[in-house]
Amino acid sequence: MDSAYAAVVGIVMACAVYLLLDRSLPRMALGVILLSAAVNLGIFVAGRLSRQRPPLLPEAVDRLAAEAITNPLSQALILTAIVISFGLTALLLVLVLRTGRELDTLDVDALRISEPPEDGAAH
Amino acid sequence: MLATVLAVLGLAAAAPLIDRWCGRGAPWLLAAAPAGLTLWYLAQVPAVTSGHVLREAVPWVPALGVDLALALDGLSLAFAILVLGIGACIVLYAGGYLEGRPDRGRFLGFLFAFMGSMLGVVLADDVIVLFVFWELTSVTSYLLIGFDHADPRSRRNALQALLVTGAGGLAMLAGLVLAAATAGTTRVSLLADGRDVLRTSPGYTAIFVCLALGAFTKSAQVPFHFWLPNAMVAPTPVSAYLHSATMVKAGLYLLARFAPALGGTRLWFWVLAAVGATTVLIGASRAVRQTDLKLVLAHTTIMALGVLLLLLGLGDRHAVQAFALVLLVHALYKGGLFMVAGAIDHETGTRDVRRLGGLARTMPITATAALLGGLAMVGIPPFLGFIGKEGVYEAALAAHTAPLLWLVATIVANALIIVAAGLAVWVPFFGPVPRDAETIHGHEPPATLWLGPLGLGVLGLGCGVFHGPLVDPLLGAVVAAISGVPATLSLHFWHGVTIPLLASVTTFALGFAGFQVRHHLVRWGEQLVRLHRTECERGYDATLGGLMRLATWQTRAMQTGRLRDYLVVVFALFGASVLATLVASGGLRPPGGWGEVQFHEWAVAAGIACGALATVLLRPGLAAVVTVGIVGYGVGLAFAIFGAPDVAYTQFMAETLAVVIVMLVLTRLPSLPPLERSPGTRRRDGIVAAACGAATTLALWAVTAAPFDSQLTAWFAAHSYPAAHGRNIVNVILVDFRGLDTMGEITVVVLAGLGAVLLLGERGRRSAGPIPSLILASINRVIFAAILLFSLWVMLRGHNEPGGGFIGGLLAASAFALYAFAAGPRAARRVLRANPLTVAGVGVTLAALSALPAVAAGLPFMTGLWWFPEATDGAKLALGTPVLFDVGVYLAVAGTMLAITFALLQE
Amino acid sequence: MTTWLPVLPVVAPLLGAGFATILRHRVRGQRRLALGAAVVQLAGAIGLLAVVWRSGPLALRMGGWPPPFGIVFVADLLGATMAVITGLIGTAVVAYARADASRRAELDGFYPLYLALLAAVAGAFLTGDLFNLYVWFEVMLAAAIGLLLVATRPAQLDGTLKYALLNLIGTTFFLVALSWLYGLTGTLNMADLHLRVPAVENRGAVLTAAMLLVVAFGAKAAVFPLFFWLPASYHTPLASVSAVFAGLLTKVGVYALLRVFTLVIDGAGTPIQTVLCWIAGLTMLTGVLGAASQQDIRRILSFHIVSQIGYMVLGLALYTPLGIVGSIFYVVHHIIVKANLFLVSGVVERLGGGGDLRQLGGLYRRDGVLATLFAVPAASLAGLPPLSGFWAKLLLLQASLAAGYWALAATALVVGLLTLFSMTKIWNEAFWKDAPATLPGGRLSSERRRLLLAPIAALAAVTIAIGLWTQPFLALAERGGATLLDPKPYLDAVREASP
Repeated sequence: MDSAYAAVVGIVMACAVYLLLDRSLPRMALGVILLSAAVNLGIFVAGRLSRQRPPLLPEAVDRLAAEAITNPLSQALILTAIVISFGLTALLLVLVLRTGRELDTLDVDALRISEPPEDGAAH
Repeated sequence: MLATVLAVLGLAAAAPLIDRWCGRGAPWLLAAAPAGLTLWYLAQVPAVTSGHVLREAVPWVPALGVDLALALDGLSLAFAILVLGIGACIVLYAGGYLEGRPDRGRFLGFLFAFMGSMLGVVLADDVIVLFVFWELTSVTSYLLIGFDHADPRSRRNALQALLVTGAGGLAMLAGLVLAAATAGTTRVSLLADGRDVLRTSPGYTAIFVCLALGAFTKSAQVPFHFWLPNAMVAPTPVSAYLHSATMVKAGLYLLARFAPALGGTRLWFWVLAAVGATTVLIGASRAVRQTDLKLVLAHTTIMALGVLLLLLGLGDRHAVQAFALVLLVHALYKGGLFMVAGAIDHETGTRDVRRLGGLARTMPITATAALLGGLAMVGIPPFLGFIGKEGVYEAALAAHTAPLLWLVATIVANALIIVAAGLAVWVPFFGPVPRDAETIHGHEPPATLWLGPLGLGVLGLGCGVFHGPLVDPLLGAVVAAISGVPATLSLHFWHGVTIPLLASVTTFALGFAGFQVRHHLVRWGEQLVRLHRTECERGYDATLGGLMRLATWQTRAMQTGRLRDYLVVVFALFGASVLATLVASGGLRPPGGWGEVQFHEWAVAAGIACGALATVLLRPGLAAVVTVGIVGYGVGLAFAIFGAPDVAYTQFMAETLAVVIVMLVLTRLPSLPPLERSPGTRRRDGIVAAACGAATTLALWAVTAAPFDSQLTAWFAAHSYPAAHGRNIVNVILVDFRGLDTMGEITVVVLAGLGAVLLLGERGRRSAGPIPSLILASINRVIFAAILLFSLWVMLRGHNEPGGGFIGGLLAASAFALYAFAAGPRAARRVLRANPLTVAGVGVTLAALSALPAVAAGLPFMTGLWWFPEATDGAKLALGTPVLFDVGVYLAVAGTMLAITFALLQE
Repeated sequence: MTTWLPVLPVVAPLLGAGFATILRHRVRGQRRLALGAAVVQLAGAIGLLAVVWRSGPLALRMGGWPPPFGIVFVADLLGATMAVITGLIGTAVVAYARADASRRAELDGFYPLYLALLAAVAGAFLTGDLFNLYVWFEVMLAAAIGLLLVATRPAQLDGTLKYALLNLIGTTFFLVALSWLYGLTGTLNMADLHLRVPAVENRGAVLTAAMLLVVAFGAKAAVFPLFFWLPASYHTPLASVSAVFAGLLTKVGVYALLRVFTLVIDGAGTPIQTVLCWIAGLTMLTGVLGAASQQDIRRILSFHIVSQIGYMVLGLALYTPLGIVGSIFYVVHHIIVKANLFLVSGVVERLGGGGDLRQLGGLYRRDGVLATLFAVPAASLAGLPPLSGFWAKLLLLQASLAAGYWALAATALVVGLLTLFSMTKIWNEAFWKDAPATLPGGRLSSERRRLLLAPIAALAAVTIAIGLWTQPFLALAERGGATLLDPKPYLDAVREASP
């Protein structure tokens, strides 16, 4: 199962990169979302997929063996990563909104205010 | 000795103040200090000449073996006396030259700073200390050359001098470091003694070349000589002091200092002699065509430096003796002549030789000083310069290779020096008053301006006449220091009729004749000048220009300003580096386990993949959002089917909210026609993307091929309930075992909220109105309350069952968001009562504060403290600081999401 | 003491950020809070350094859980020194920001963002857990994006978008590499990884993860060819923001390289070392050439950050004790000097009405104190003795010559000369040259001027102190470097961390 999902991660990653290189701002933003999806799934795969029970101790049971549950640490890491990338994605989306409206463009190539074309010219 | 250096440097700081307070008397007062120090050093002459070397050392950076070490032997002593003695004259002179200028104090300060640095160079006994002072002389020289900084020529030439000497200085540093490493010590006196450690080491050539570069740049040898004439834009005191008498000698000092250790080889002989001779001739060819007094003097300085280098190269006893003589003689007369030139400029307003003449009548004292200097320069007995010239010829004859070559070269050079002396001294003072020029009136300059040159001139004469008591032993000590063996000198004016005498006579004859036909010489010299101007300074300009062009091209190529170019490079690097490393290092592992995958697992995997591909292929924006959602939900499903419920819920919620935000953003962006990439770009991007995807997959196959080490999992499973009182292991990890990660995570969320709110503005202009329906409004309120309560329940139960602060917080935010959609954001805000970002802030603060009680109890930060109150039905309740932490998470997440949602809705 | 001191430099500003968020509309309260939190961070870090100097690395188990199951904070000399520098810059810049940040900026949330940044930087320097390091990287990113945006102008939007995207991708690479390492070893604790990584059978996979970490940290540290985001954005925000970024953020990347490639993965003798050597040389060159082509002060300084990072990577790439010591010393020196230069550039822009060298001039006459305060860090950056930069460059020169890397040594010298050229260009154009007639000219009230120049003077004094009184700082770097190359004290501290 790890191998199959590793392939999926690769496909989503490729799509994410392709979108990030797009010329339109909104599609680039979509690429960001896909990227975090790919990475999170990737962490899951790296922590190994298994069909064991979820890491929840049932009533009256004080401890479980490691082989009996899925990997709780990778799940915790993914959770943290989901939340973090969600926060940053939201911020990025708002930034895209403000930029698109203020500069009145959706063209990534038109973002030349901080580095105008004449800059870097010989003096 | 250290005290003397520090005293001079201290005066650098004090000079501006003294200048302001003492006014007219300041130059006299300030000149007294170096004059006094000169006397102190003169008092050391008996000790040093009897072979005793004064040493001082203060530990500075023991870790590098660097001490503030100073040593005073003959060479250092001679230089020190020159630096301080001439320095005193210059201070006085500068005081008069810059009289009336408000920045005179600053000038004097820089001058003292230079003086102290130069003194440090000649006294330094540690290579690092030597370098420190060396660079300081370059810096102070820069400040002094560019003193009239409003003039672009001053700035340009100051920079040129700084860069040329700076480059040499860095090369010198490399050489010094190499030498120190080879010899195992940073002490100059140990490095530079007569042992063969450096000479026979494999790094000898490198060390020699590096040190030579440093010396050549500092002492204006070809091809680095061009900065010296350009430095004449500086005020004349600077030219007189730095660029004739002291700083330009520093390179020669360096080579002289290291002569015992590095000299005597064929490399030493040929490089130094050849460069020196070339410098002499090039300097000569330019000296005679100059019309500016200072430039005449500058070029003859270059000539003298070349001669000195040649002598060092020749290296035998006669040569070293001549070196010491010429060193002393040149410093005395050149400094004086420069000061005279400056005085002429000061009084008449011009330095153009063609417009000056007959000044002896109006400036008799200055004329006397000039005459004394000029005669020393020409080398007439009883001036010491005569012995100096004879010494040069003796050295040339004693050379073991091509003595005739050196002899002829030096005779010609000295003859040209005589011509130059005529130009600089005879013409302005004793020559005819030019008829066509307007009458230049000069009158005697103030005492400060002629005292120095006169004193130096008298000294030059005195040293010649009374050379026995002082000059002979001092120069003997210099020779001893350079050659490494004790030496005594006895100088005589008359040795009988020898070849050097004949050479001297020839020189005078040639010089006199040359002076008569100087105008023809000028024309001849002009040809040569045109040749050499092309090479050296043009080389410098070309290098700088080429560098600028390279810089501009390189920057334009890399920093294009286009985000997509940057992204391509980044991703291409990712794909390429991972793929290359995996393949080349044998890290690839074949994937396996295809047969074990069950149908529903394939389905979910396929769903995710298709969703992703669809997003790429679909053009319309909103459809792509849907497919992105499919990918996100698919991933959530994958989490669910592989036993990660909390993660699945979180993923579902986060994806939903992300999609909502994307929709809100997309609908508010300006609607513009879609943009397409060119086919070539698309191909390129496709390859990069495929490479990244392949890289990720191959790496994951390699990672998952080996069995997993589940030591950590075992521990978590064993300790989650007994030690941390929680049954939901993932939640326990998040809020307890690895709570600090979560602390950072909610900080990210709140910061994102701050950023989003500042971008959108907190108070919107328009806000969507409420849905006008009473039934819907009440249903709305009920739903809102239900979801809110549900969210609280989810949070509180999270420690033992799927749930937790984050999911709860998102649910709470959804409750308010639904309410806002239905009743309008203003109403929702009113229900919330507090500012959402403030709520978020409370959340983060609460989470951080929940970690502190442990510290109060003497336990490590963030340790969970628990209470177990008995509930009424006997069930065991566990309340602890991790629960409080989870509440903090809840508030932080809810607050931030609300802040962003409200801001977007009200935007 | 061991239960809270290592984490104080993080908690103080973090709590400060939390309270500042709550007090978002009370500007004066925020100012005091921010200054207080920064001072507490500095004081705590100094205390931490003193303890670590006396008794060796200090470890703190978060929540009392033993490593590698819980997160540990490990303060060795390097980490503690970096925490002190963070506090120093944090305090200096917050004092400067008092006069620099506009009211709009303060209301936009400058202070909570700033404090969170300080907390995250300190956290990155002190943590002993790789995933926790990632989290602090993300906190830094979120705070940085916010800070780039306060008091927004269009140029900031553009620069921030580039910054955000490129850095987000960089931290994502870090996360990916981290997940691979976790997948290979099963642990996240750095000390534990030190023990487990050599035991992994698939060396190629380890090397791949390591290479990706080089890319990720290199992107953070702005090495060649990943530095685009820096010159695209550092010149757009407030001068205070530029200063704290220039001083601290890229150095976290360098620190990560230093820490990970000595403790977690030993790069000596592997292809990693070769890659680092190339990166060092190319970064030095492209950075300084980039600076030479610019006309705006802050753009020039931004490119110089890139160039100087090359020096720091050089020290690591040599993998000799002297090289590592040189790298550490360089980091400390550079943080102070670079932040100071940006603070000065802020004042220059205020006086001159902009940062373009072609339109500046006459500042030497107008404000001699400012000129001197520019000259000190500029000369130090160029490596002129007897300032801190000279010793830093000398150490690296000695290290590269001793290790036989002639080309790198020569590159270091040439780049040093070009840096000198660049600094004198700024001096010539902005200070010495007369102001062009079209100069709009700015006015600076003496009150504001004093507030702005005070922290600049303090930092300049530190630079001079390091230059003249070098031995203590060098000893600090030496002992810090020793723990990097021989991590036994570090590992012992982690093992014995008292619950």
